[in-house]
Amino acid sequence: MDLLGIMLAILGAAMAAGWAGAGSAIGVGIAGESGAGVMTEDPGKFGLVLLLQALPGTQGIYGLLIAFFAILKVGLLGGGAEVTVSVWQGLGIFFACLPIAVGGFFSAIAQGKTSAACIQMIAKRPEETGKAVILPAMVETYAVLALLMSIILLNGITL
Amino acid sequence: MAVARIKKAELYVHKADLDNVLHALQKTGSYEVVPFGTESVSEGTAPVHSDLSRVEGLLSEARFLLRFLEPHFKDSVSSLARAMGERESISLHDGKTLEGKTDLMSLSVSVRSLERRLMEMRSELTQIASTETLLNALSDFPYPFELLTSGTERVRGMLGTMPVSKIPLWKEETEALLSSMGEVFTSPPGEKDQEGWIAVFFDESMTAQVAELLARNSFSRVDVPLSLKKTVEEERLSLAERKTALAAEEEGVLAEIVGAAEQWVPSVRILSDYWTILRDRYQALSSGASTEQVIMLRGWVPESAVPKLTKAITPFGSSLELFLFDPKPEDSPPSHIVNSTWCFPFENLTRLYGAPKYGEIDPTPLLAPFFFIFFGMCLGDAGYGAIMIGFFMWFLRKYKNMPEGFKGFFKLFVLSGVSTIVVGALTGSWFGDLVDAFSLLSFLRPVKNFMLVLNPMENPMIFLALSLALGVVQLFFGLFIAFYDALRKRNYIGAFADTGGWIVFLTGLLLWGGVASGFLSAHATFLAKALTFLGAAVLVATQGREKEGIVGKAISGLLSLYSVTSYLGDVLSYSRLLALGLATSAVGVIINMLAGLAGDVPYIGWIIALLLLIGGHVFSIAVNVLGAFVHSLRLQYVEFFSKFYTGGGTIFSPLTYKTAFVAIKNEPEE
Repeated sequence: MDLLGIMLAILGAAMAAGWAGAGSAIGVGIAGESGAGVMTEDPGKFGLVLLLQALPGTQGIYGLLIAFFAILKVGLLGGGAEVTVSVWQGLGIFFACLPIAVGGFFSAIAQGKTSAACIQMIAKRPEETGKAVILPAMVETYAVLALLMSIILLNGITL
Repeated sequence: MAVARIKKAELYVHKADLDNVLHALQKTGSYEVVPFGTESVSEGTAPVHSDLSRVEGLLSEARFLLRFLEPHFKDSVSSLARAMGERESISLHDGKTLEGKTDLMSLSVSVRSLERRLMEMRSELTQIASTETLLNALSDFPYPFELLTSGTERVRGMLGTMPVSKIPLWKEETEALLSSMGEVFTSPPGEKDQEGWIAVFFDESMTAQVAELLARNSFSRVDVPLSLKKTVEEERLSLAERKTALAAEEEGVLAEIVGAAEQWVPSVRILSDYWTILRDRYQALSSGASTEQVIMLRGWVPESAVPKLTKAITPFGSSLELFLFDPKPEDSPPSHIVNSTWCFPFENLTRLYGAPKYGEIDPTPLLAPFFFIFFGMCLGDAGYGAIMIGFFMWFLRKYKNMPEGFKGFFKLFVLSGVSTIVVGALTGSWFGDLVDAFSLLSFLRPVKNFMLVLNPMENPMIFLALSLALGVVQLFFGLFIAFYDALRKRNYIGAFADTGGWIVFLTGLLLWGGVASGFLSAHATFLAKALTFLGAAVLVATQGREKEGIVGKAISGLLSLYSVTSYLGDVLSYSRLLALGLATSAVGVIINMLAGLAGDVPYIGWIIALLLLIGGHVFSIAVNVLGAFVHSLRLQYVEFFSKFYTGGGTIFSPLTYKTAFVAIKNEPEE
């Protein structure tokens, strides 16, 4: 039974890193396609385009973060002391990973689309870069909130 | 605070002095010319400077030269350094002298001929390449090409391709048809080829039959370049010779271009800037209006720059008249933003959002302290802050003449680094937990722990409360600014009913919440309730004031209270300060942990660990600085500005020296 608890925690960590990372990959990909289009016209915009393309990448990092938190908690990393994880605790950790897994996946895709649109915007108006960076950041808010909730939930589970 | 007062300035200039006056105006850099209104039609026609078309022509030639020559020019100053202000200083007088010395037009003609020659050679090379492909396909074609291109007196030839499957049958039929009157050539097709090369030579009299047979077998004719006369081998040799000759010639032309670039690019750059200045000056004129003797210009001048402007035009005495007015309500003057040194770096943030309208509040000093703190909290790692400061200070020192905008941004990042160090030290985060993770650094632990006040990894809830409290502070601050702004504009209903109502209502709710959660003593209960109901009453009574009828007013008044959710949302949005701060330290911790794990690998472990540490932290700094910047900015733009600021103004942009390559130094022109 102890093993099942740990497995559930690992499932949670895997979902957090996997789904949030997949979302970021799609988001960064969408933004990159748009950026490549802009750079065929003006390769000098590489810096700006790269900046905007990087924005949907943070969800993957948040997911990785929660995954690390989760496996640290059950003592799978860093050679920490053996911890016994009951099924209920494992289930709790699994649930705590869900906000960033789900929120990260969908928000990264949405943010990628916004970034792509903003890349098109700076193609025509490079002087409006400030605004173009803010719009994708509006989407990211919800990834940040999901990250926050995952952190608070993980923090609240006592082993 | 800091949208400077501006004056409307009308200038009446006698035509004789026009050039000198315009020059003086451009030199002061404090007069923005705006187009005359529609009434100008009756006042006279827009004057066109006699020199404008000449300068524009020269400018377009200079642009052509730079576009063509610059890729071949080895610049001693990198383009980054140039953008950072590493420019040669010249005076306008130098520009004029150079203009006299340089025969740009003939230079342009010779460069254009070089460009044409280069293009011709390149197109010939493409042609040769395609001919070579044809020759390679026909490598076993035994006849001289003359037979195809011109034929003999009676023999005609055709070359082309045909589907491989049809070739044998066609060959048989054609050979039968021609017998001794012609010849058929087929090239053995490769394994994967769909089409094979064929050629047929025939007596002129049989043209119709041959063509008919070919057409029936889906033949598609390929025209051989007329220049081909001899056999495949001979032609190949001569093509190769031609290619070598062309390559040598191209090298020569390129060397000539590089030489021209080296000789001319620096001076053409100076000239391009010089002419741009002249063109700007002349174009300002076309916004004016003229009569027979007098040119009228209308524009804006900041009040603080009036003495400078007056002094600049005094020498012209009676041939010029300047009238200053205060802007009228229907005018839309530009905003000249002036900020003191301490908040100048933050001015860029205001500009990114949009300049304030004339007469509105400049939010720069208001957002500066908040952005400073928020950035520190979002990044929140003393080590990262130190690296940021080092990096941007290095740039600031290396490029002392960088343009103001860049300088502002770099200083902004240095300041943000300072705040990051403070927050990082207080929360005990130095490159994540580097000090604790490696026993090598254990001697630093007492120092770290001495400064540590609160570790957000262990006490996230306290840090969260702190973040939200900062949010409440900033939102109230925003509301008070709106309140002050409405009072300043004598919009009393806006001040007391709209903003004031919300301030009272929200204060009451906060107190109530404080009492309910036990932070405040029960004595405050009455005050809390009183404020809440007073605020709510004011809002209900006033927020429906634009609706018809008493019921409509009451309903929309009541519904307005629902906006309290947006204030709640605004406050919760500040929780990102905690989340991003935690994310930075956690990423740091993970990097240190991975490096620690790699350190256990025998022999080369410390190298891997070092690489992981350096690479990981550099990556982490890049990602987290971007995140911290964007999110601290968003809190200003979305949560803070929505309370009192709209932007939408235009920045004062005077007639001045706008250059791309050189800096203009002032010096008496004559």
